[in-house]
Amino acid sequence: MLLSLLIFLPLLGSLVVALLPERQTAAFRWVALGVTILEVGLAGLAYAAFDRSAGGYQLLEQADWITLPLGRLGIASIDYLVGVDGISLPLVVLSAVVMLAGVVSSWTVTHRQKAYYALYLLLTGTVMGCFVALDFFLFFLFFEFMLLPMYFLIGLWGGPRREYASIKFFLYTLLGSLLILLVMIGLYLSVMDPVSTALAAGFVTDPSALTDEVIRLLQAHIQAGQLNPAQIVHTFDMRYLADGRNYLPDAFLNPAAEPTVLGMPARMLAFWAVFLGFAVKLPIVPLHTWLPDAHVEAPTPISVVLAGVLLKIGGYGILRIAWNFFPDGAAEYATGLAGLGVLSIVYGGLNALAQTDLKKMIAYSSVSHMGFVLLGVASLTAEGINGAVYQMVSHGVLSAMLFLLTGVLYDRTHDRRIDSYRGLMQPMPQFAILTAVAFFGSLGLPGFSGFVGELFTLMGSFQSEWIPGWLTVLGTSGILLAAAYFLWTLQRMFFGAAWSRHDMASVLTDLTLREKLLLVPLGALALGLGLFPNLIFDLTSQTVGQWLIRFAVE
Amino acid sequence: MDEWGYLRPETPTFFGMLQSLLAVCLLLLPFVGFLTVSLASRRLAGPLAVGLTALGLIGSIGLAVSLPEQPITLQADWATLSGISFGIGFRVDGLAGLMLVIVHGVALLVQVYSLSYLLDEPRLSRYFAYLQLFIGAMLGIVLAGNLLVMYAFWELVGLASYLLIGFYADRPAASQAAKKAFLMNRVGDMGMLIGIFLTYYYYDTLDLAQLNHTDLYAVAPTAVGLCLFMGCVGKSAQFPLLTWLPDAMEGPTPVSALLHAATMVAAGVFLLARIQPLLSPDARAVIVLIGTITTFWGGYSALFQTDIKKVLAFSTVSQLGLMVAAMGMGNVGGALFHLLTHAFFKAGLFLSAGSVIHAVHTQDMRQMGGLRRALPVTFVAYTVCAAALAGVPLFSGFLSKEAILGGAFAWAETAGISLAAGVPVLLLLSSGLTALYMARQWRLIFLGQYQHEATPLSGVHEADGLMRVPVVILALLSVAFWFSVNPFSAHGSWVFGILPLPAEAELPWLPPVSVLLVLLGGWFGVRLREPNPTRLYVQLSVQYGFLDRAYQWYIITPAIKAATLLNRADQRLVDGAVNGAGIGGVVLAHLVHAVDRFGVDGLVNGAAWLAGRLGRLTRSVQNGRVQSYITVAVVGLLIVLWWIL
Repeated sequence: MLLSLLIFLPLLGSLVVALLPERQTAAFRWVALGVTILEVGLAGLAYAAFDRSAGGYQLLEQADWITLPLGRLGIASIDYLVGVDGISLPLVVLSAVVMLAGVVSSWTVTHRQKAYYALYLLLTGTVMGCFVALDFFLFFLFFEFMLLPMYFLIGLWGGPRREYASIKFFLYTLLGSLLILLVMIGLYLSVMDPVSTALAAGFVTDPSALTDEVIRLLQAHIQAGQLNPAQIVHTFDMRYLADGRNYLPDAFLNPAAEPTVLGMPARMLAFWAVFLGFAVKLPIVPLHTWLPDAHVEAPTPISVVLAGVLLKIGGYGILRIAWNFFPDGAAEYATGLAGLGVLSIVYGGLNALAQTDLKKMIAYSSVSHMGFVLLGVASLTAEGINGAVYQMVSHGVLSAMLFLLTGVLYDRTHDRRIDSYRGLMQPMPQFAILTAVAFFGSLGLPGFSGFVGELFTLMGSFQSEWIPGWLTVLGTSGILLAAAYFLWTLQRMFFGAAWSRHDMASVLTDLTLREKLLLVPLGALALGLGLFPNLIFDLTSQTVGQWLIRFAVE
Repeated sequence: MDEWGYLRPETPTFFGMLQSLLAVCLLLLPFVGFLTVSLASRRLAGPLAVGLTALGLIGSIGLAVSLPEQPITLQADWATLSGISFGIGFRVDGLAGLMLVIVHGVALLVQVYSLSYLLDEPRLSRYFAYLQLFIGAMLGIVLAGNLLVMYAFWELVGLASYLLIGFYADRPAASQAAKKAFLMNRVGDMGMLIGIFLTYYYYDTLDLAQLNHTDLYAVAPTAVGLCLFMGCVGKSAQFPLLTWLPDAMEGPTPVSALLHAATMVAAGVFLLARIQPLLSPDARAVIVLIGTITTFWGGYSALFQTDIKKVLAFSTVSQLGLMVAAMGMGNVGGALFHLLTHAFFKAGLFLSAGSVIHAVHTQDMRQMGGLRRALPVTFVAYTVCAAALAGVPLFSGFLSKEAILGGAFAWAETAGISLAAGVPVLLLLSSGLTALYMARQWRLIFLGQYQHEATPLSGVHEADGLMRVPVVILALLSVAFWFSVNPFSAHGSWVFGILPLPAEAELPWLPPVSVLLVLLGGWFGVRLREPNPTRLYVQLSVQYGFLDRAYQWYIITPAIKAATLLNRADQRLVDGAVNGAGIGGVVLAHLVHAVDRFGVDGLVNGAAWLAGRLGRLTRSVQNGRVQSYITVAVVGLLIVLWWIL
């Protein structure tokens, strides 16, 4: 019930906003605020209800949705199946928090509020759906549907080049999801639902009677052609997709069969397709160029959501889909994937160093920081994968804070160029202090969450048997680059004699109460997570531990 | 390494628990101070900070005096990742106890001094809050029981120094220096972090007690020691990462005193004491080499500086090189003894220099001169501390320097490295160099004629008691008597009850020779005239071997250029490809549309025209066009389906 509420409450809220009369401009944001506060509450309940000592999926809800006999193609079965494990739950909680922050920072949006908040709540619901869906089809539905509100939120409320940016964002992601769709169909055709198939074929009469023995028997029957293909129930259930025993004997993506396409094992091809599909979202260099544009053009709250939540769907997808269904691919290409991660770290960092636009600098720093996520998951170690999930949460909080800070300045002057400001410390001391907190948190100062994420992803990378030491050393240079671009920016914008292209006395006023209410809790959260990292690791430990056993087997 | 007693604790006694609690309180106190002082009013902030540190000093002395044989250790879980546990651990042993007292002692005096020195500073509460943070971060390093905790506080020291060096934020030079300090330290920290990863990779633990098992000694890979040593190179301003330290002078002068004596540069040397068993012979050779280069580099750079604080800064670099070299030789006792004596006389020198600056309002020594009458107390204190630094007998620096030099000659005999004998000789020579530049500075400030026109000599007078008392105390602590009853040898010193006694060579000629060198250096320093500043050998000293210029040319400028170039490539090539694909797609769409309009549609129209003609031809036949279309469509679909399935 809890997870369904997480999805449908915002969707309902979106509907309410859509139905409210246009005149009620004040009501829209209050509805949005109310819904997102409830979302945080619900996510908090899920956090509390989660059994940390058990791995696997929890808070499951399942309902038959579509069952369609397709003749020789077997029976298509799509379920409404939601649940969380140690990897998705931290991201659910993060999303709830960031979405709430987004609403509060949306207070400055003044035109077409109705459409704005309706789309925003739609986005909230689909994001939640993405993180809790355990049926691949359902996941894909949410994943695709998310694009729609995002496209309009950037395209209608964005900056001068918003149309270019939003179309770029849309096409990039769509291209990625095309690859994911192909793999989804391939997986669907390759995997059976052992329970339903056994029932339909009359092997067992009671689902609880299903044992490994029965599945083996079932496989043997299919192998021998003794089972009518029309009786095989195909599934999108992620739990079945992740289990090699459920792959049909002669299937395209069967790990044992190894058919090749263009000289490459089909599974490896599928692995790369699905990886690239999500790598666009993470984003991984060289698939990152939509990000700076989207960030620069998006309004502040949407940048916050984009960096805080949407990038995490890329990382989540890589773990949940690519790694989960193709552990053999993850192990096979670990070195190259880690190389891509390090490339992102260094490339993003160097680019951030060269930026003259504050928001673009932060966008590139996101590229760099998400590189740590890929490095961590590529390592296939406990430190690396736990660290990667942690890094996603940490980056979610800190990047939200960074974009909010940029928004503070943009709201006042509509100018984000770094060289338009000097010595901001004097007119805006509180702003300066909170910026320094966010910067130091992001550059990995111990005590803040950024440090923990980088520490453990790098440590995992060092421990990994697949990643050469020099690659990790190169990745470690990311922390030096981060210090360089953040501190250089701090020096240029905040220190020295106060000067600005804009009127200091009237325009550059210090933080308002609303801004402080946004920034201080986020800073405190980054600090709290940094001091007590087990707040996250408690959730991830068991799940990741069980995953690692699979990588060891493959 | 048994004298360190790195063993697991026994069941804690009640008294032991009390001591643990005290240690935790000592660590937390400055952080509580950071919060409360930053919220306190301008007038209250200083006294509050001083009070807290005084409390800390009392606690530290209490803890240090009552320390048991076994170190006190504290462990707590911090992060557990799929069964792999990373704890936070603290340990208090003799070394930590000694450091606790030094840090608190120097910090207390510096803060008392600051009460008066920064009286007119509007952001006084922030200043004292940052100082508390600085102290707390350093205490964390001192009490750290594992490398992860040490690294965390290591970086926190970097933050605190950043805040304090850049305290005068409206001065561009100050924020530049702060950034430089943090970044250079980060270079070292990066190495240290890799060293931590390597340590964990090889030993599966970061706990200092476990790492100090003697059986690790033989197998420690050189890379582990060298990477960890990089942390020390950054924090203790060793060659080649030494140029942040002279720039750090941009901070308020009392901060320099603290930074140079107790809370920052000492950390690197302390780290080396903690990781001794992880240093392989090769790593040690590198450490000795770096330390020796630094000793000489710093000493020569101090020689022709004109800024009063820069001479002191480079003297710190030089002395740190000496300590690091000793650490590389395994002379832990000698290095830490020098760290202890250096902390007092260097803090004393900086605070005295602060008094001079406070009085004459310039840092340029060429403008000073003849101040011995105007500032008698400062003059005496300065003379005592400088004598200690130069290694004049009867002063503390002599004892500790002899402990290092003696150890160095002993090391050279057994090291088995070619040219090893050159190291102690170089160290000995640079101690003569120390006397030379200190005597020069002493002459420039206190002898000769007063030059500064902006502040007339009649207006130059001693500061108030708050500034004088700390200086006098530090000067008193620079006398040999406190450390050893025999002013010519430290062998019976109480210090070596806590620290391991260095293995010194029996060299009866060494003390007379080094005294001779000191006297010679001092004599030249007082007598020699200032050379022409444009001469290369002077510039080589003033610009500390052109190290900064080399960084600017070969690292910073190329790095920024590379970043700019990469960004252009990102926009033109990577994004260009994307946009190109987009434009290509649109062009293709138009092309297809044209083909569709003129080709396909033309074909269709042609076909229609043809069909019309045919129709006219077969007018008599039943028209089957629609049916045939359907037939074709169905057949086509079947083919497609068959192919897919």
